[in-house]
Amino acid sequence: MDSEIKITAHIEAARPNTCKFAVSVSLYENGSAFFADREQAKESPLAAKLFGIKDVTAVRISGSNVTITKEGDEPWRPVAGKVAEVVREHLKSREPAVSVDYASNTFSDDEIRTKVQEIFDTQINPAVAAHGGMVDLLDVKDNKIYLRMGGGCQGCGMADVTLRQGIEEAIRQALPQVDEILDVTDHASGTNPYYAPSKR
Amino acid sequence: MARILLLLPTTTYRATDFIEAAQRLGVHVTVASEEKNVLESKNPEGYLKLNFEDLGSVHRSVLEFSKRYPFDAVLGMDDTTVIAAAAISHALSLKSNSLESVKSARNKRLMREAFSRENLPIPNFQSFSINENPERIASKSRYPCVLKPTLLSASQGVMRVNGPNELYSAWERLRKIIQAQKTSSEVLVEDFISGQEVALEGLLEGSQLRVLALFDKPDPLEGPFFEETIYVRPSRLDSRMQEEVIACAARATKALGLETGPVHAELRINEEGPWIIEIAARPIGGRCSRALRFGLGISLEELIIRQALGFETCSLQVDPTPSGVMMIPVPRPGILKKISGVEEAKAVPGVVDILLATHIGQQLVPLPEGSSYFGFIFCREQTPQIVEERLRVAYNKLKFEVESTDNNLPDRVLESCHETT
Repeated sequence: MDSEIKITAHIEAARPNTCKFAVSVSLYENGSAFFADREQAKESPLAAKLFGIKDVTAVRISGSNVTITKEGDEPWRPVAGKVAEVVREHLKSREPAVSVDYASNTFSDDEIRTKVQEIFDTQINPAVAAHGGMVDLLDVKDNKIYLRMGGGCQGCGMADVTLRQGIEEAIRQALPQVDEILDVTDHASGTNPYYAPSKR
Repeated sequence: MARILLLLPTTTYRATDFIEAAQRLGVHVTVASEEKNVLESKNPEGYLKLNFEDLGSVHRSVLEFSKRYPFDAVLGMDDTTVIAAAAISHALSLKSNSLESVKSARNKRLMREAFSRENLPIPNFQSFSINENPERIASKSRYPCVLKPTLLSASQGVMRVNGPNELYSAWERLRKIIQAQKTSSEVLVEDFISGQEVALEGLLEGSQLRVLALFDKPDPLEGPFFEETIYVRPSRLDSRMQEEVIACAARATKALGLETGPVHAELRINEEGPWIIEIAARPIGGRCSRALRFGLGISLEELIIRQALGFETCSLQVDPTPSGVMMIPVPRPGILKKISGVEEAKAVPGVVDILLATHIGQQLVPLPEGSSYFGFIFCREQTPQIVEERLRVAYNKLKFEVESTDNNLPDRVLESCHETT
């Protein structure tokens, strides 16, 4: 069976520590499953094995793809070889990539939308309102969250710090399986940024 | 996973580029700013409030914080944070420049004295207090000369004067700027050095200078103020002069005792060869770093973080495609009402991006009082000449509507102007 399984690796230019492995057979047809650590990976026999590879920090299994994030400066080639080996061994075992229980414990896009909106309403917007800011949830698609910042956040020099260190963290704490969080704000059009960049 | 401490003042232009770079590398980040982030409670390990000016309190806060969240590197990326970054790094036994070397790079008098001790080619200089009688200064100065506040950056307060009468008025203007900025009263008065100016971007490793880029500045900087506009690379200087420039910059880093991390040097070139004007222990300012890419699209910020974490960087060579950036000059003093022509400017062949750093309704304050960047035009083309031409074409597409205000800027406006690079 080994020889029939083709695995192609693709490193994302925007995230060089992340590599997507396209497998020629389906791994998880029910959607997308994300595991940020070994503890979470207990719900996925495949992810648990992948966390056994040195430097692996996150695993996403989606359809016939496995996306691995690693830390450190080691080149991808040896890590990719190990990932391919683990995936092939796993497929031989006939175990599911993701447990049946996992699906019942995860959320659909609609459920994510509801939960993120609640986070925005109860945690994020009351806080950024102190700077005249606001954050709108625009959409959730395929586990990806699209948001827009307004008021004092639009064009603010610290908007990305607030987004990546604060908003993203709050979402991931509540919903670890969320994929990317994308800011579609036109920051150049902000007319009242709380912190206007001014120090060269 | 590695953790870095980024010292990012709330007024920085650089937060986005550094946060993006850290994300790409997958490292944990703690952002230290002089004000508390409104979402600190959501991510206590992600934020730290620090008063960068008070090294004692910085020291205490970071030591306490690092017991829970140890750091692998500390990075200060502008003039207000490099000294604090060096102090923190020493306290945590992390790789860093010495505090003395960073302080010398931050203070124009200390810098000139260090260069002088090593017989580097620098203009003759004298140091005065802004509170001294300008008539005395005028009588002791040679003309043309340049007035430079020792602790302000990027040409803020820098003025060329051609004789005693100009010096009197410039001195009074500078006194107001220094007062508004609450900065050191010390002022350098140094000979004006004519010639072409270049900027060198480098990375120090074990005191050895690795040149990342040498930029030509094709617009003459003759004064009375020194607003920077176009940077283009690779330099069109002949190879012999480029070698002399690089050798001069390398000597300057050694004279200051800098050993590691990014450096940004500015030099002038005339018939006598290169003159070192300044060197800073930080990367190029504003968003200008976007004119550089390394390896397969790595940013300067990522290169800097990689070096600080001890990752390999030597194989990451600068993309050889000629590139450049134009720092859009502040059109005139007043309130910005409208900017148009941005899409037309973006459509100019070779222009890869335009970033506006000014918002509608903002008070515009040109040099020497001002300090903010208006915006940036980035271009990549086949030759440096074409890059320069395209930047000018794109700039000429931009139209600004500015509502005039009183030329005598009120103190509240001066106080809102932060120092610059």
